[in-house]
Amino acid sequence: MREIWNIFKKGIFAENPIFVLALSLCPALAVTSTSINSLTMGLSVMFVITANNTIVSITRKVVNPKVRVPVYITSVATIVTVVQLVLQAYAPLLYKALGIYLALIVVFAIILARAEVFASKNKVVPSFFDGLGMGTGFALALLCIGVIRELFGTGAIFGIQVLGSWYNPALIMILPPGAFILIGYMVAGFKMLTEHAEKVKLERGEV
Amino acid sequence: MSDDNNIEQKVNHTKEYSIFQIAINLTVACFVSGAIIAGTYFVTAPIAVKKAAELKTEAMKSLVSDAQKFIPVKNKTDWFTAEKDGKIVGYVVPAESKGYAGAIKMLVSVTPEGKIIDFDILESKETPGLGDNAGKDPFKSQFKGKKADDLEVVKDKTKENNIQAMTGATISSVAVTKGIKEAVEQVKQFVGGKK
Repeated sequence: MREIWNIFKKGIFAENPIFVLALSLCPALAVTSTSINSLTMGLSVMFVITANNTIVSITRKVVNPKVRVPVYITSVATIVTVVQLVLQAYAPLLYKALGIYLALIVVFAIILARAEVFASKNKVVPSFFDGLGMGTGFALALLCIGVIRELFGTGAIFGIQVLGSWYNPALIMILPPGAFILIGYMVAGFKMLTEHAEKVKLERGEV
Repeated sequence: MSDDNNIEQKVNHTKEYSIFQIAINLTVACFVSGAIIAGTYFVTAPIAVKKAAELKTEAMKSLVSDAQKFIPVKNKTDWFTAEKDGKIVGYVVPAESKGYAGAIKMLVSVTPEGKIIDFDILESKETPGLGDNAGKDPFKSQFKGKKADDLEVVKDKTKENNIQAMTGATISSVAVTKGIKEAVEQVKQFVGGKK
């Protein structure tokens, strides 16, 4: 049980896809201009990466290692397409909101990376939680970026105005350069936090 | 991360596979994937079509709230008349215009007299948080009841008859206004031609 928790946890902190592994930065820039966009994108990725890890893990014994990458891509593409078709039929409004982003998930580096590094070499249950942890870490990172960008760019969070009319929105936060600057600072901040945590551990003699 | 992960892979790599086996493996994977997608599509496609039609009627209902039914206009693709008690209360017409990032597709409802009832943005790639606010208040509500001649984008708050541009999204404001203006003029022409 403890092992599973550790696998899940490492995706959120120690190996956070955005802040530590620096994978899939492109969507982190492109879709995080509002909180709600970030959240939907994060949740979609969380679902796809978990499902894909599970499938890759189940089929790991029958997939030939020489064609494993094309097979993984096929698997991701299948999951995403099925999700698209189902959403289109049962939740057309959500489908419209996700639009092009949904199809983009197929080529996310983080999903392929987890299939290659973890799911293809581990049993189903750990793979499932690895995907869930990584997905959660990704979603949380996206949400953080989205909330901060929306707050400073428009003075609102989830479309609800929080800063008064005295606040003059910094348009740059909504535009791509703002995302670059913010992610840079956040990566640095995350690094400082983890370094501090390690130092505390060292002082206590836990390492 | 890498040490223990490589062990299983190394075991796999010691085996030799013929190109035929490898090809079959990939083919089977693609075939399974195709079958799953086809199966899903078979189930969801009819539902998706039904939902899309429902959504369209709903979208038109929200544009002309007092209409009872919508009838397609002959010779005009995607034009609808909104009728109430057998009388035409409005026209729902598609509009398109080039925005800041690609085409903006809209649905505009206009009274037979050429006044705007409401509009709705169906598809746009405008910057989220800036240009895509065109579909929301307070920008959106400015259009209600306006005529084609009033449709001009200004940045002067004293000109209440015109359309106030959105801050930081002048191009989107102009594009949306232009698309709607064209739609209104088309309706006027269409109604005028009938009389």
